[in-house]
Amino acid sequence: MADLTDAIAKLDPPPLATHDREEELCAAYEAAFEADRETWINFATPAVERLEKGSFSLAWMNTDGGVWGTRVKPSSRGLTFMDVNRPKVYGTVADSVPPEYRNLTPRGSIREPYKDMLPVYDDFVVTEKWDLWADNVSTLYEEAKARQWNATKDIAWDELEPLPEDLEKAACQLATFLTEIEFLAGDFPAKWMYRIPAEFLEIKAFLATQIMDEARHLEVFRKRALAGGGGLLHVNPMFEWGSKALMASPTHTSGAYFLNLIGEGFILSVFRGGEFLARTHVDREIFRRCLQDEARHVAFGTIELKNYLENHPEPEQAMAVMHRYADIAEVLVSTSILQPVVLEPLAVLMGGGLDEIDSGMDGVAFLWDVVKEEYLQRCDRAGLFRRDVCKFGELPWKAAVS
Amino acid sequence: MIFPSVEWFARLGELMEENRSVHQHVGEIDCSCVWTVFDADGQGTDRHFQTTFELYSLVDVREITEEERVKANFILETDVWVWKEMLESIAEGGGRPDLEHSLNRLSLPGVPIRLWAEDPLDRDMFFRFNGSLQEFMNASVHIPTTYLVEE
Repeated sequence: MADLTDAIAKLDPPPLATHDREEELCAAYEAAFEADRETWINFATPAVERLEKGSFSLAWMNTDGGVWGTRVKPSSRGLTFMDVNRPKVYGTVADSVPPEYRNLTPRGSIREPYKDMLPVYDDFVVTEKWDLWADNVSTLYEEAKARQWNATKDIAWDELEPLPEDLEKAACQLATFLTEIEFLAGDFPAKWMYRIPAEFLEIKAFLATQIMDEARHLEVFRKRALAGGGGLLHVNPMFEWGSKALMASPTHTSGAYFLNLIGEGFILSVFRGGEFLARTHVDREIFRRCLQDEARHVAFGTIELKNYLENHPEPEQAMAVMHRYADIAEVLVSTSILQPVVLEPLAVLMGGGLDEIDSGMDGVAFLWDVVKEEYLQRCDRAGLFRRDVCKFGELPWKAAVS
Repeated sequence: MIFPSVEWFARLGELMEENRSVHQHVGEIDCSCVWTVFDADGQGTDRHFQTTFELYSLVDVREITEEERVKANFILETDVWVWKEMLESIAEGGGRPDLEHSLNRLSLPGVPIRLWAEDPLDRDMFFRFNGSLQEFMNASVHIPTTYLVEE
């Protein structure tokens, strides 16, 4: 009966808000603590008794079971993750994280003697290396740290030149949409970062940089919309539905593919196209800096998908499942960006004004083809061959006029 | 100095060192890039220069053959006239090209600069290090440059 109750409870939709349930939630938290009280007492009692006697344990100085004396050496760029992972004891990543280490215990620490005392974090569900690893993750993490920038100071906001109203409105509408997107791009890795055990510390660390990158992007586009004297314009309801579907991705790999290969790949191309869209040096600098960040995320997503397809214990099933996800994701992304609040400001900026929106659509159509081709190239690289089944169709406008 | 030449690219490398604070601010760059300069008269004298970057430095520059290019992470290729126009835009902008003449702007449509690599992830390095590459090229404003082409 308890199992059934538990199963039913898990079917409950998540609460929409907590602010009106504080009493209830606090009571549940207290009850949970009570359930673990004995465990706490078992840990605390000997420690307290020892302190009361004025004695010490010093058990932590025993290095049995560890690798005390293993020195890691910095390279020319400092002490990187690649350097510290050279000794096998630190660099060997488990293929599967056993239940006793589905917690915050660091890889390479003396943890085996404590395995029966450790809690299992129920939320740590991404426990298989094939389900999240990317061989380029350490390099990308180091690169991400080395190429951070500051949207407050690195953009010459005081040099933002006034634009004609049609161009400024288009820039602000695009900035509004990009702000909306960047929330998604930060929230998705944030959602999954907590579901990954400490064994995969490099992945967690990289996701943290991705979250920071996206925070900076939403910041810079929000500031861009405001700095020109215009402001934020219209939200994109259809995109919100697509984002909701992405956030609901049931596995890390499916969502990471959705976000990093399709979503970020699209944004990467838009930022590249930013050089065409930019009507000021300030806009160009914004796009270029964001472009660099997005390219890291795309590189991570591509190799993560490759790892998944190559190392899944049932590769044929993995391939079939990813194609099914792709059938949905390609449709969602390609239709989300068809909305007037996305395509039309792009066309106005590409064309150089509202009067040139038709010619601007030629540029948008070209960009569309770039997005699709680069996406397919990355899928090829990962081993997910979508060329013959891709749902990312032609831009309808282009089809109508050709 | 003559563009293109090993000496010309090496001078850009020296300027990287002299402007180290700029590159440190932009971030580390680790990649190899080939700059292909097609000849102006179609006489088969295309030239290819490979620049290799580590951290904040140009650690190697050499002229290579057409076949050797694929060993680099990515290749940027165009006619000497386009390179000249881009460098002149940088010079006229005091070390910053106008909106039409950045490396990314010139390469996005595939023309006039063609960006390519056998591996799309290698190609994407051009995007990952784009700011550093643009700063590298922007330093050409400090090099009195002559071209092996006539107006």
